[in-house]
Amino acid sequence: MLILFGCVAIFSASTTHIGEYVSTQNHWWKQLIFAAISLGMMFLLMRLPMPILDLVIIPAYIINILALIVVLFTPEVSGAHRWFNFFGLHYQPSESAKLFTILIVARIISRENMSEIRQIVYGLGLVILPVILILLEPDFGSTLVFMFSLIAMLVAAEVPLLYILLLISPVVSILSSLWWPAIIIWLVLLVGLLLWNRLSWITTAIAGILNGFLALIMPVFWNALKDYQQDRIVSFLNPMADPLGAGYQIIQAKIAIGSGSVAGKGWLQGTQKNMNFLPEHHTDFIFSVIGEEFGFIGALILLTLFGLFFWRLIRAVGEIRVGERRIASAGILAYLMFQTFINISMNIGLVPATGIPLPFISYGGSNLLFNALGVGVVLKYLNERGFMK
Amino acid sequence: MIKNFSTLVFKVTLVVLTLILVVALFRLQVLKGEYYRHIAESNFVRIRRVTATRGEIYDCKYRPIVVNIPAHDLYLTTSRINNTERLSVFLKIHFGIEPEELKELIFAQRFKAYEEILLADNLSYDTVVALSERIADYPELNFRIGTSRNYLYPNHFTGYVGRINEDEYKLYRSEDYSLNAYIGKTGLERYYEVLLRGRDGKEIMQVDAQGKSLELFGENTSIAPQNGLSLILSIDNDLQEYANSIFPPGLKGCVIVSDAQTGGILAYLSKPDYDPNIFMQKISSDVWAGLNSPSKPLLDRIIHASYPPGSVYKPVTGSKGMELGVINRHTRLASCSGGLKIGNRFFRCWSSAGHGSLSIVDAHRVSCDVFFYDLISKIDLDAMALHAKACGVFDKTGIDLPNERGGFYPNTKYYREERGIKGSLAGYKANLAIGQGEVLTTPMQINAFFSAIARRGTLIQPHLLMHTMGSARITRDEIQPLEKRRLPWSSETMQVIRDGLWAVTNAPGGTARAVNVPGATSYGKTGSAENFMGRTTHAWFVGFIETDKPEIVVTVFIENAGGGGAVAAPVANKIFNYYIGNLEKIRQPATIPPQFADGAAGSEVLPHSSVEPKPEPSAHHEETESSHPEETP
Repeated sequence: MLILFGCVAIFSASTTHIGEYVSTQNHWWKQLIFAAISLGMMFLLMRLPMPILDLVIIPAYIINILALIVVLFTPEVSGAHRWFNFFGLHYQPSESAKLFTILIVARIISRENMSEIRQIVYGLGLVILPVILILLEPDFGSTLVFMFSLIAMLVAAEVPLLYILLLISPVVSILSSLWWPAIIIWLVLLVGLLLWNRLSWITTAIAGILNGFLALIMPVFWNALKDYQQDRIVSFLNPMADPLGAGYQIIQAKIAIGSGSVAGKGWLQGTQKNMNFLPEHHTDFIFSVIGEEFGFIGALILLTLFGLFFWRLIRAVGEIRVGERRIASAGILAYLMFQTFINISMNIGLVPATGIPLPFISYGGSNLLFNALGVGVVLKYLNERGFMK
Repeated sequence: MIKNFSTLVFKVTLVVLTLILVVALFRLQVLKGEYYRHIAESNFVRIRRVTATRGEIYDCKYRPIVVNIPAHDLYLTTSRINNTERLSVFLKIHFGIEPEELKELIFAQRFKAYEEILLADNLSYDTVVALSERIADYPELNFRIGTSRNYLYPNHFTGYVGRINEDEYKLYRSEDYSLNAYIGKTGLERYYEVLLRGRDGKEIMQVDAQGKSLELFGENTSIAPQNGLSLILSIDNDLQEYANSIFPPGLKGCVIVSDAQTGGILAYLSKPDYDPNIFMQKISSDVWAGLNSPSKPLLDRIIHASYPPGSVYKPVTGSKGMELGVINRHTRLASCSGGLKIGNRFFRCWSSAGHGSLSIVDAHRVSCDVFFYDLISKIDLDAMALHAKACGVFDKTGIDLPNERGGFYPNTKYYREERGIKGSLAGYKANLAIGQGEVLTTPMQINAFFSAIARRGTLIQPHLLMHTMGSARITRDEIQPLEKRRLPWSSETMQVIRDGLWAVTNAPGGTARAVNVPGATSYGKTGSAENFMGRTTHAWFVGFIETDKPEIVVTVFIENAGGGGAVAAPVANKIFNYYIGNLEKIRQPATIPPQFADGAAGSEVLPHSSVEPKPEPSAHHEETESSHPEETP
């Protein structure tokens, strides 16, 4: 418990800490206020009687879905319909949707007498609605968060891995379609695995055909993509192919992080950041600022903090006995963990730039608030267990 | 047990992911740290756009129509600004750039502060000389030699280019347009934008403190610009100029000369015209007022305006009569005594004296209205509308220019539903028969129709482009196959109509006897179209000449100028005679100029090579960057 509190405190503190030197404008004190509000909300949540939290989940999910629909009709901000603007404060409904969707999925799939297939279908059904709406914004990165949370929740709900494999098999098919021998190996492997586990012939056949079809249709999709979308993917594979456009951020982030070397350039000394070579350095690319100014040691410390924090969350998942809460905690864990790793990987050029912020560190109010609330929910579940004991 | 399993999965995932990141970070920061540190410390990464030279436009003999000329531009690098106030005052005084405008530019550029923005273009040499001293105080400002378009004569077909605007930028951002880009706004510049533009090159330059390139990214990081393709048009500059010189001064109208065999346009003249070069500078208010004067110099009367065709439309009505078998070559219709009574209205012929009873050939020759009044009374209106459409007189011709306008021909449905006319349509039909009433066509459509008659039935999409030159030679057919179809006419109908058109210019009493072309056989049709706008009729003449083969089709249209035979036909006659008089010269094959001699020549530019200006007009001018702004002129 204490460690967890410690972690949260450290992260919250580091939020303001980093926010301070990153910004030339007023980002840092805004972020400070956000942090205070977020922590306040978190403690408020801890005080909230459990039944109220339980009651609020379903309406919150529904209202959130409506907000996601409404936000599509707001004026465009940097090419996407993602934000509501209240008196200069931006609220991004996809942030709250992540948390509420996790909670509602946990509620539904933890019901008794649910078959495993039903758990998958219901979970997928609940997730797909916000995913489609968010894809329309468009915000591809956020939708991935949903999918990974769902998988983690299914794992926590003790759905056999085989079913989860079936669930993610289309994605693997799509990826493997880039190279035809990979498709063949993958399809043989999949069908073999299904047969070996004595799944019905029909299931096996459907899965095989569906995946084969997906793999074959992908080149068609690829050609249907707009040029700039193709560019994004190509630039991920080879950032130098378009150094001015899509690959620019990744190159600059890599230079920034790499030039931090072992010890870093010191606080406020990041040359790349200061010269504005690096775009969006207070939001999605904040990690490269850390990497540049604090070097490998600083990055390692941050990674360790995150590692400890997640380790504690995993233990919390193990400790919580109530099915719904355990599943929800797993979802929250996956949600935070996935964002963390994708964001850092994106900064060091391991994955394409997808626009996912770094939890607790990146600038952004709704993101910070709902990350904190997510942790709050897990803490609350832990507390409840304490009282019940 | 199972609970342990799920936490085990999470733990393994966490450890694996953390390890991956640690290893990746180790590699990036510890192993290659020095490398990146080196880049970053010397980091004045310049990512430079090397603008591709826009393709030029030439006539059929490779004589220039639109060329690039060197021009002085003023650029701003926002990352070097140290005093915005001072800068905005300076820019306001010398370049008339409002402080607000500057602020917006800086904001729009905030993520690309290293990239230069074009602040002002086509500056006069005097301005550059006068300010070059002062500008040394502003390291963020830079004069550069770029290129500008030079339109060698006023016309409507080339169109012009302009700075990309916000909407266009949004639309084309994914196609790698920069905020500094020029884009075709109208005419060929717009229609063939993709071909003309080429592809900008890019260069990553790592410059050290002394301004020397470090080449840290290796050699393959710059992308050489792919210069735009030059367009070779069917236009013949001599013919264009000649047509321009003989067009009755002060009048409005247009002249089209097209190749009777290929459909290529040889001369394209719409009057009054404007000089596209005025769009290359800031437009003064009196120039702007001139452009918007009632005579509409910006209006391309060839494809953007439609008019009643009057009698030049008569072959359409006549041919339908032939096709239906209502008449044959010898059928004589109602006798013309200066008009014909239809219902209870008397429809007059243009000649009050009357023409008597005529056959179709003679009806064309003297352009008798009564013949066609009587003919259309025997034909169903909707069948007539379909026939007119099949003749191509009302559809867009598909010429390679943007925003072509279509024509109009009414049918029964139109009169009943849109006009609410319940009674007989006979009177409306009579008007339609002679190209009056609701019929509207563009001069280009009429020209395309007569070209089809010159070709004995093949309707070809008119076009300006023949092929491109530069890094690739692409013919018009490869870009977009030319549409060809047949007029729905039997050979008998074709012969009769052609005889009628021949009689117009050759037989006694023909309305265009003024057309006399020694050395060629001429055909034609006059028209004097009444219109609701003016008191005087629009004058039309469309005709073609043949030597051993069909040569050219000429359409002359003059607004509110009088009779076609008296006003329009003489213009066409001069063009025919000029053409026949210079036949040898015109038929002589064009010699390919040196800059295109080996196909790809002149299309590739090495990024570092072409700072010095080149003598020929197609020289490539690169945006050059100096690390020491004080050294620039």
